[in-house]
Formats: sequence, structure tokens, C-alpha cells
Amino acid sequence: MKIVLRVVLLAALIAVGVWLWTIIFPSPQKIIRQRLEAVARRASFAADEGTLARMANAQSLADYFSTNVEVNLDVPGRDGHTILGRDEITQAALASRSATSSLSIKFLDVDVTVGPDKRSATADLTVEARASDDLDLIVQEMKFTLQNIGGQWLITRVETIRTLSILDFEPARAAFIVGS
Amino acid sequence: MRIVLFGRNWKFTLARLAVLVVACFVIFRFVVLPIRVEGISMLPTYQNGSVNFVNRLAYPWHSPQRGDVVGIRLSDPSIMWPSVMYLKRIIGLPGETVAFVDGAVLINGKVLDEPYEKYGCDWNIPQVKLDPDQYFVVGDNRSMPSQYHEFGRVPRDHIIGKAVL
Repeated sequence: MKIVLRVVLLAALIAVGVWLWTIIFPSPQKIIRQRLEAVARRASFAADEGTLARMANAQSLADYFSTNVEVNLDVPGRDGHTILGRDEITQAALASRSATSSLSIKFLDVDVTVGPDKRSATADLTVEARASDDLDLIVQEMKFTLQNIGGQWLITRVETIRTLSILDFEPARAAFIVGS
Repeated sequence: MRIVLFGRNWKFTLARLAVLVVACFVIFRFVVLPIRVEGISMLPTYQNGSVNFVNRLAYPWHSPQRGDVVGIRLSDPSIMWPSVMYLKRIIGLPGETVAFVDGAVLINGKVLDEPYEKYGCDWNIPQVKLDPDQYFVVGDNRSMPSQYHEFGRVPRDHIIGKAVL
């Protein structure tokens, strides 16, 4: 009985050790997932968001993107839209706050792939967005490209993926929730 | 009532509870996925907010058929349990050509009878040739302009299963 107890204790100790290790030294995948969750939180806003908070949140959203970020948005029913650079990210975040009173954005089914160089990564995910003025839920498959710049994983490119395609190549036929 | 719910022997009750939990987990993860319909693209067949199930075991032995309402993943097939999916009707099968002319669906040049499409449609979409692993899916509600409606070709591995109700 003593041996069984010791084995159980040892297994529990190893499990706690592994758990602590992942907390102290998180994998790039985990860091990227956390940063993407933060991006979704910053892009979302409530109806009662104050003016100062509005500016601060819009500014802080841009911090998750590289200075030369390119965001290509192509969502059914909206004009195609390209955002270039951090300033335009901030402007788009502020514009979305003017366009609708509240917006909830979630990144679902995130699949992170880190490159062999450990400095680049891609994240395939589904964006779920609900604006207060819009009855319909917007869901869109998207691909984020990230690079480790100065020790931080920054988003360098965002593009929409057409789950259901009509033609082999479709010109941009729409836009996005943020900024349009 | 108490005896029916909990039984006389707490060990058997716990065992029954464990079996029930495991059975629910297996059924609602691997057999039928419970879903809540959001949006109007499948009206009038499916109302916004209605509950349905997607049968994951509908197609292991035969291919999806024309007219089937299917759940379609947006995420990579490596994601076992997608959080969101499209609910659309299959109108085009692999290898066929699909076109919309003044709202009528043409499959290989012949008009498709669609009793489920009730609201009328004026879409004009040029002919599309489907690859050997592609299906053409569209919602039943085509009363809105085509650019507001998510539809088109989808590879077989993105079809999760068939709507049960």
C-alpha cells in the first residue's frame, strides 16, 4: 500500500512540475494564443465604454501588430478593405466604435503553427463577431501571420479565407467588422 | 420518485450516473453535434435560434446527396470539434456544373427543382465546374442579393455531417 501511495504521490508531483514548467516557460503556441485572445478583447467594446478608455483601447490594440502590418479583409456583403500599418489599425478601431455602439469579437478554433525557424508563425482561426446594430452573427475564417520581433509575437499580416468559394480566384468582394 | 432517481444503492446510482455522463459525452461529441441555428440564410426551413443536431456518422458509408442539409466547418479539419459551422443545403455534386440564371439553379444545364426555396430569387451566377471532391452548397433563403449570402464550393473534408431535424 505504501508503494502505491508513493507512486501516486510521485505522479502527482510530476504532473504539478510539468504544469508549473508550462506556466513559467510557456510554448510559443500558448503565447500566441494568449496574444490573440488579447487582440479579440481589445477589438471588442461595450456600449458604455468611456472616451478615454475608447482611445486607450484603440491604441493598445495597435501594439499587437507590427509597424508594417497588412490586413486584407474580404467579408460577404461588405466592400473589400485593406489596412496598412499601426496607425490605420488604430483609426479602424476608432471607426468601428463610431459605427456601432457595441461589438463582441471572439477568436474560435485557433490552430497555431510555429515555423521551423521559431521566429514566424501562422494562426488559422474563426472570427465570431456580433455588433449591437446587426441582427446577424458574422463568422469568418481568417489567417494571421505573426513574427517574433524583439521578443514579442507581433501580427504582420491578416487575411480572410473564403470557406465557400464560387470562383477559383475571387476579387475582393467585401470588408470587415473593424473599420468598415 | 427518490428511488427512481437515485436508487436504493448509492454505488449503483454512481455507476449509472457515470455511464450516463460517458454516454452523453460520446453521443454529443462523436455521433450528433448539438447546434443552435443563427441567422436567416436557411429560412424557412430553419428559424433563427432553433436547435438542431448534426449527424457526424451520416457519411462514412455513402457520399453526401443533393438536397441534404449539412454542417460545414470553417476551421481546419484537424479541429475535431469546431465551435461554429455553416448550415447549408447541397445542390451540386462533384464533377457537376452549377449556375444560377434569374434565380433558377441549373445543374449540368438542367433546372433543379427546389421545393424548399420559398422566397424567390433573382441571382445570376456564371457556371461553376466542381472538382471531384467538391460540393456546391447554398442556403434556402435567397431573397437577399447574392453578395450578402455565403454560398459556393466546399471540399468534402469540410462537411461535418447531415442535419438531423
